[in-house]
Amino acid sequence: MSLRPMNRRTMLRCLGAATIGLPLMEEMLIQNVSAAQAQVPVRAFNVFFGLGIPAPLQTEGFDGVLEPLAPLRKKLLIMRNVDQVRCDQRGINAHYDGASGAFTAEPPDGEAKSGGPSIDQVIRKTHYPSGLPQGMVPTLIGGTFFRRSRVGRYVHSYNMDGTVAATIQESPRAIFDRVFGTVRTAGEGEDAQRQRLRRSVLDAVVEDYRFYTSSNSPLGSSSKSRLADHLDRIREYEQRAYTMKNRQSQGLQLPPRSDIPHGGPADPGGQGIDITLEELSNEWRLLTDIYALAIQMDRVRFGSLTFLAAGERIRLKGEYAYNGKKVWDFDDANQLNASGDKGCSHEWWHRFNEKQKNEQLRAHAHMKMREVAHFLKRLDDKDSVESNGRTILENSMITVSTESGDGRHNDVKRELSGVFHAITGANGRFKTDQIMDVGAEGIDVYNTMLAAHGAKDRLGPDKRDSREIGSIRA
Amino acid sequence: MKFKLLVMLSLVMAAAPAAWSAERIEVQPQALYTFDEGSGDVVHDRSGRSDPIDLKIDKSNAVSWQKGQVTINSGTSIASSKPPTRLIRAIQDSQELTVEAWIAPKNTNQSGPARIVTISSNTSLRNFTLGQDGHKYDARLRTTKTSSNGIPSISSQDRSLEPRMTHVVYTHNRSGATRIYIDGKVSSDHKVDGSLSNWDRNYRLALANELSGDRPWLGSLQLVAIYDRALSNDEVNQNYAAGVQATAGPSSFAGLGTSAGDQLFVTQVAPLLAKSCVECHDSATHKGGLDLSHMKSAFAGGESGKAVVAGKSHESLLWDRIESGEMPPEGEPLNSSEKTALKKWIDAGAAWPVDFIDPAVYAMNDSDQVWVQRLTIPEYIETVRSVTGVDITQEAHELLPPDLRADGFRNTAYNLNVDLQHVEAYAKLARIIVDRMDIGEFAKRFSSAKSLNTDATARKFVSALGEWVLRGPIEDREVTNYSGIMTSVASSGGSYEEGVGLLIEAMLQSPRFIYRIEWQRGSGTERSANDYELASRLSYIIWGAPPDKELLEVAKKGKLGGQQEYENQIRRMLQDPRARERSKQFVIEWLNLDRLENLRPNTDRFPKWNPELAKDMRDETIAYFEEVVWNQNRPLNELFNAQYTFVTPRLAEHYGLKPQGNGQRRYDLANVPSRGGLLTQGSVLTIGGDDASMVTRGLFVLRDVLRGVIGAPPPGVDTTPVPATPGTSLRKIAEHRVANESCGGCHKKFEPLAYGLERYDGLGSFRMKDEYGNALRSDGQVLIPGTGQPQKYDESAQLMDLLANSDRVRETLTWKVTQFALGRPLAAEDAPEMQRVYQQAQAAGGTYSNIIAFLCTSDLVRKVRTEK
Repeated sequence: MSLRPMNRRTMLRCLGAATIGLPLMEEMLIQNVSAAQAQVPVRAFNVFFGLGIPAPLQTEGFDGVLEPLAPLRKKLLIMRNVDQVRCDQRGINAHYDGASGAFTAEPPDGEAKSGGPSIDQVIRKTHYPSGLPQGMVPTLIGGTFFRRSRVGRYVHSYNMDGTVAATIQESPRAIFDRVFGTVRTAGEGEDAQRQRLRRSVLDAVVEDYRFYTSSNSPLGSSSKSRLADHLDRIREYEQRAYTMKNRQSQGLQLPPRSDIPHGGPADPGGQGIDITLEELSNEWRLLTDIYALAIQMDRVRFGSLTFLAAGERIRLKGEYAYNGKKVWDFDDANQLNASGDKGCSHEWWHRFNEKQKNEQLRAHAHMKMREVAHFLKRLDDKDSVESNGRTILENSMITVSTESGDGRHNDVKRELSGVFHAITGANGRFKTDQIMDVGAEGIDVYNTMLAAHGAKDRLGPDKRDSREIGSIRA
Repeated sequence: MKFKLLVMLSLVMAAAPAAWSAERIEVQPQALYTFDEGSGDVVHDRSGRSDPIDLKIDKSNAVSWQKGQVTINSGTSIASSKPPTRLIRAIQDSQELTVEAWIAPKNTNQSGPARIVTISSNTSLRNFTLGQDGHKYDARLRTTKTSSNGIPSISSQDRSLEPRMTHVVYTHNRSGATRIYIDGKVSSDHKVDGSLSNWDRNYRLALANELSGDRPWLGSLQLVAIYDRALSNDEVNQNYAAGVQATAGPSSFAGLGTSAGDQLFVTQVAPLLAKSCVECHDSATHKGGLDLSHMKSAFAGGESGKAVVAGKSHESLLWDRIESGEMPPEGEPLNSSEKTALKKWIDAGAAWPVDFIDPAVYAMNDSDQVWVQRLTIPEYIETVRSVTGVDITQEAHELLPPDLRADGFRNTAYNLNVDLQHVEAYAKLARIIVDRMDIGEFAKRFSSAKSLNTDATARKFVSALGEWVLRGPIEDREVTNYSGIMTSVASSGGSYEEGVGLLIEAMLQSPRFIYRIEWQRGSGTERSANDYELASRLSYIIWGAPPDKELLEVAKKGKLGGQQEYENQIRRMLQDPRARERSKQFVIEWLNLDRLENLRPNTDRFPKWNPELAKDMRDETIAYFEEVVWNQNRPLNELFNAQYTFVTPRLAEHYGLKPQGNGQRRYDLANVPSRGGLLTQGSVLTIGGDDASMVTRGLFVLRDVLRGVIGAPPPGVDTTPVPATPGTSLRKIAEHRVANESCGGCHKKFEPLAYGLERYDGLGSFRMKDEYGNALRSDGQVLIPGTGQPQKYDESAQLMDLLANSDRVRETLTWKVTQFALGRPLAAEDAPEMQRVYQQAQAAGGTYSNIIAFLCTSDLVRKVRTEK
């Protein structure tokens, strides 16, 4: 597996000579972010991972699936026994309910709306009521996911009215462009969101042409070459239309298209996709490195990041090692002896039994924690040290959570109780270096977090009596 | 007029070639077993394919043979010795399958199901099985949505199986429609989703048992046929009606009946003679007294002796001169394989099965290249109008690069390439189109639910919308891909209308919208087009537009493969105004009328020229064509001598006619000897440029009216036009060239064709003297390609009559219409079918509609060429 870490310096090397001399890039080269900031800014990010960690496994602390978070333990508060049962909606898939409740503590309100705002957006509104400084991306939502049917499964930043806070960026290239580029399309003068959506149109068209030029194409050789020409022209068009502009009007090359499916092909009707660990990890590392870089460059202060959707369906293959030691051979379809959706890792959650080893589930959860930890570590490296001597990880309000505390779908209460949460210290606001049995509703935990940030707004019904969870406060 | 057209069409159809008979359909199966061995332990594959899939009977004493039938009395397998890779690959490529059988089950107790036809490995792994389960037939098909055992299976109706000779047919098409027919009637109709991409190519084919030997079936087999396409209702019915002993239709195995010598001549010798010999040794030129274009003259030989002595290449001068390298004197010598073929042909008896060697037939090399057709600009405009209701004519012409002419037409597929400007234009146009649509109203046609939720209704919506926009059912892959746009919109908080709008934008740029996608992969031979492919071919040939709702419905029901419905649709479509418009596009391209937009004559020489005249000329020809072809419904060859035209007062004056009224009007030309027919119209006469070049005009008549072939001038020849001078008219200059030994060989074939046009100046005005006072003539002669005797004429009107009454002209018109309809130049392999189309169309009246109708019922349209 070739995992190349991406930080500010390697990023510059990747971008090549064209970047040298650009004001933005000069800043990246020579100026530490903290030097330009008199005060540490308020930031809040939600980090979501799909399918969750069954509550019994959370009790194993860092000896179990949470092992990859151990190096960050001093900067995290691990919260167990957080109850999201109020997010359940009768007749609606529990994956969806749980995922919608993550960071909002509310059940969904329709297909593309949350029942309320997410933590990051309430804090954003509190601290930047007139908007973020010019040039910043107001909210950056990114993620890798292969279950697209309902927005709540994978989008985890919601405005005060419950609408999505920004378009989710699904690939490293898209995130990079969103943060560092500007978009020009046929629709000059359109708003940025519309332009970004138009890219999804082009992505779908490209995908279709790729099929007709692939080995599965129904076309003969001459026709195929004609469509290959067409595809080349589309790519040329794409490069021209979407080439990032900078202040000196010198174009930068976009990162390459990723090799894993995006858009429609990423979710073939809930049937799941085949993917190798290497493909998935490479995608995540590039995605999270760019996201982290955006934070380090102070282009982004709020947003969310998704590591697989709720109820995710992938058939993963590949040897998984951690710290040089083999953990597991992923081969979901064969190990489940099934194809399609029944051959996906999701099934390990259906089959969870606390009296058994649950090796496959553990390996999947462990692997996701490794990737989450990678992202968090990026915000804890030497490029992330701020004026107060703490790192971005320590200064930010980063909430890590998931969809459920059980995956068997036979007991809603059990499923939505004990949903894993971990938070950072948010510049001294919360305790860290603990694994705590909170024993509280998620809504109270979240509102406590908001209160600690001086927010007047609260999640949940107006008339509800909030319960301060003082145990998490520093 | 409509009534008249209808009558004509009825006559056309009455003479259609493929009337129902007791014959089976003409579709060549991938594997065919007729059990006519009578004994032994081998069942031969009678499909006629080069790689037969013969079957071996494991226990020969378990069966008994009768005439055309084998009866399995006790358990045995009848299986291929190796995997039928060709068969499996063909089915995977087409994603369609038919298994047809005439069988008599021994009883109604057999189950398991007992295997009748199977492509499998054992009791739990299969690609396909047709079996018996008591009183029912049961079929299992492996797809990406069913299990590796083909479960869930589908069954015929309860008690539909009886122990008697029965016609059982299983069909599965690319859209998933899956049926079991019993004696011509649908007994089971299901949808089996998924692709056949997961078929295992290592499984073998077997009859009457599972490959593992533990699911025996007892009974009699009279016929088993496996096809790589889903037969339509009508085709199944035709085979059922034909009965168990019927034979295949006449063209199934076309070519097998001709001798090896005939084949050798047609495929190798005639092309090389056309390419290397007949330019000098044809009926017109016959250098050395030798005419190699006709059998009689070729065998008679020339001044040097016998050119071809059948069976004796060593006595044949043709072989002698070619072997020595003496011939051909110029150009490339024959290569070794050509020489070998020529010698072999002479030694084998010098078979000569054609009338004459027509260089036009061999002008294009037979090619196994199959080019996908991109929509031309007019087709794009009509497709957008039909699909969305939006008129994008102006913007499409402004934004899209023009389609360039190749081989005489702008829709020649190989030349319809794509550039960055296309991609930009398609993106912009898609946005404009969507902006003009009422998305909400449009979307209602496909779904009442306004949801972006891909788990609930969005996928169904995308599927229904895609079927309409992309001219046929869309696959799961496509549904998934385009649904992604809906989810992207949803995840950014966008509205349903926004999602649908962007979805349509994407589809308008997709390969299946921009191109006419067909399934081109296969065995390298031809296959029958499926219903949707036929629908698309018909609509673009007849209308230059996509299939309408009715045509798609017929295709969806699988009825288009049936002759009667197929003809009904052609008849209906030819009455639609779009057929008229499409035909106008034909004449515009055939005569290159777009050229008139750029006509810029020398104003010093033509001070009275009014640029508006160019448009009038174009309009004249189009209106004239419409009158002859549609309003009068006359044979197409009458385009050359109909005694009327349609001109404006301005153009009438230009022609020397007395102007009448305003605007374009019909003028009777019965008493105007100088006018009448296409070649007397300014749109055609201007082809010769300001100088009224006889070379250019003559070449036009030769190539585009008489389908003659002429080589390029030899290198180094000065081709600068020689202008007329006082005392020397263009005719004199031309006659000088024709008489010249080095030029005349070729020039005599085409310049005399323009003699009759000499009195029309470069802009089509009629005069008796040129600008230098030289008297101009109108007499000349026509040398029809393939004939050696020129036909003389005194007046240009006689030239028009000669052309209008020429079989060669009629044939050329058929070829030109066909070339435009198919979007590709025709090659030698098309010639036999073209000849049939020509003869049938002429017998029915020779109108444009006749040609289109018989073309559409020919294999040129009904068959798809495939590549391996």
